[in-house]
Amino acid sequence: MKTSIVVPSRRQAQRDDLSSLGEPILQTRQLSLWYGKQQALDGVTLDIPKNKITAIIGPSGCGKSTLIRCFNRMNDLIPGVRIAGEIFYHHKNIQDPDVDPVEVRRRIGMVFQKPNPFPKSIYENVAFGLRINGFQGNLDRRVEGALRQAALWEEVTDYLHKKSGLDLSGGQQQRLCIARTVAIEPEVILMDEPCSSLDPIATAKIEDLMLELKRDYTVVIVTHNMQQAARVSDFTAFLYLGRLIEYGPTKKIFENPDKKETEDYITGKFG
Amino acid sequence: MSAPATQPSEQAFRRRLRWRHGKSKLFASLTITATLVGLATLAALLVNVFTNARLLIAMNATAEAGFAFSLRSLERGHDLFPYIRISQVTEGSSAEQLGVRSGDALIRMGFHAVAKISDAWATVEQIPEGPTPIGWVAGAERLLGDLRAEIDPETSRVTAVLLDYLTPGSAAERAGLQVNDILRKADDFPIQGTRQAWEAIVIAAQQKPTPSSVILEIQRGEQILHIALEAEQQAQIPLNRSFWHTLWFFITEYESPRFAELSGLRSAILGSFYVIGLMALFSVPLGVGAAIYLEEYARRTWLTGLIQVLISNLAGVPSVIYGIIGLEIFARAFALERGVLAGALTMALLILPVVIIASREALRAIPDSIRQAAYAVGATRWQVVRHHVLPYAAPGIFTGVVLSLSRAIGEAAPLILLGAFQYVAFDPKGLKDPFTVLPIQIFTWVGMPQEGRANIAAAAILVLLVILLLMNALAIFLRIKFQKRW
Repeated sequence: MKTSIVVPSRRQAQRDDLSSLGEPILQTRQLSLWYGKQQALDGVTLDIPKNKITAIIGPSGCGKSTLIRCFNRMNDLIPGVRIAGEIFYHHKNIQDPDVDPVEVRRRIGMVFQKPNPFPKSIYENVAFGLRINGFQGNLDRRVEGALRQAALWEEVTDYLHKKSGLDLSGGQQQRLCIARTVAIEPEVILMDEPCSSLDPIATAKIEDLMLELKRDYTVVIVTHNMQQAARVSDFTAFLYLGRLIEYGPTKKIFENPDKKETEDYITGKFG
Repeated sequence: MSAPATQPSEQAFRRRLRWRHGKSKLFASLTITATLVGLATLAALLVNVFTNARLLIAMNATAEAGFAFSLRSLERGHDLFPYIRISQVTEGSSAEQLGVRSGDALIRMGFHAVAKISDAWATVEQIPEGPTPIGWVAGAERLLGDLRAEIDPETSRVTAVLLDYLTPGSAAERAGLQVNDILRKADDFPIQGTRQAWEAIVIAAQQKPTPSSVILEIQRGEQILHIALEAEQQAQIPLNRSFWHTLWFFITEYESPRFAELSGLRSAILGSFYVIGLMALFSVPLGVGAAIYLEEYARRTWLTGLIQVLISNLAGVPSVIYGIIGLEIFARAFALERGVLAGALTMALLILPVVIIASREALRAIPDSIRQAAYAVGATRWQVVRHHVLPYAAPGIFTGVVLSLSRAIGEAAPLILLGAFQYVAFDPKGLKDPFTVLPIQIFTWVGMPQEGRANIAAAAILVLLVILLLMNALAIFLRIKFQKRW
């Protein structure tokens, strides 16, 4: 059982108290974002704790993906985006002009909603990030390590160089994307609805994987599957219409939310 | 529950359904008609070109045997009697070995009397393989000798044509003609001049259905004599009617300004490939580079939008206008003269917008998710382009490039304006050398009046078509070979 590595008592304690959040690795302060004239985020202030899984939930179009894409400056790639407020990574504002977005993305990896492996061999998919970042060590071993970490090694070991990443099934593709992300050893892994295009079995595998990854990485996951958030996350943020409605330990959000909107959403009254 | 009032009645619905089916049948038949008309036009065009080009083999066979023909004619009253004059006999050819010389007249080919050059070629094409019988009349000097005209000093009209010198061993000597005989008629063709005398004999011989003597009416002293002259000589000549041999001759021989049967496409093909190659050297890096910048680097502003519109418009500018630019800028301002380089630069301008548009389309077809995936593992913009976008877009870019090259190879207008030479009988070597290209060569040939020019123009069109088809096949091959599925 992969989930057994989490000690239940400690986990329980963390869930009950937001003050046990520990050292925050990512922080936003009054973060607002506009796509052209349309506002997508409105004054979001949030601390993401280190080596925990933080889930961001909310109905479609509430800005969860937008928020998560702020953390590794992926929004830079979208024309017409304007950002106000601050995003701190290790207390450094990553929006500062002296920050290189390439370095941010190298430290804060991302897994996307739709599996997007490169149309290259499985090996090359994982090795690409290492190569471009000037990795000096044993490439083969590192690729194997990353594929093992993503629980994909056993399934692909025979055709690492023969099969294209696109020849894999949807769930395998997504795990390949995770392997590609962990290969460069980032500190944070952002996951933007990683299971939305997968079947329940593949989803279960990815969820197990997330709990495994928590040991070494900080994971931020966007999901509109509330059961998933409840199953895997330590902290949950509820976003609605671009505003952060409520943020706290997952158990509290799901069992005893402070805000009416949170309760309505969680009990399925809307969303 | 009754149906809502907005629903039509059952009957009305059925009627309308029938009408709708009728309408789609109508459209189907219209589109089929359009397709058929298009195919029929294409077929007619190709059949026409093929029929015209077919004579090339016969033309080459006669040229190989040593002949180059020109058409002459003899006037009598209001009628013109054409005959084929052998203008040139290649040294060492089988025609020369048979004793045919320049200036002789060809009157029979494969037992058929031929009066026109195209008849001769058509006959060569029809008669079976093997030695071909030919009949010819030797030139005036060898057939007769020297002729002298007596001229009435008052009217300056020729009153009599006399044999001034009889060539020993000539047909005239064998027939019994003597010096100072007055030549009056050849069969019923009156002899009116020294040169015309020989022509009259040629026409008379040509009029006979089978090789036989021409009856000369001569005046010797007071006597009128009729003498049978064996004007026509016969022999068999080997004609090489091989398709590949013809093709090789046609594409490796220079243009011959006088004889269609001796003309080839060498300088045009070399010029075309030279210009297209140089052009690709300029336009492909520039075009692909511009496309990468516009697609991957430039921000979407009103300026890039404007540039996009301008490029699309440039792709639609008539090609003649690029010729003016080429002439003014490259040929004159840059002093490149009317050479290969000026032509290549002009054509590069012409296809640059096409290359940019095709490359942008190929780049745009790469899903954004791939770019994001690469960015997310810490790739710089250049690494994303270099390792992912460009390799995946390469088949599309190659296809676009090859298609624009094949457009350029068929363009004549800008190069005509630039002043590409119409007659080039050498290989262009330097960058400022004059040159010609296939479409210009075709254009020139079509405009020439001699017989056979239309045929070699048609053959040249086929060569151009084959080159284009090969290039397009390469484009399709590249697309299929390197296609990526997402």
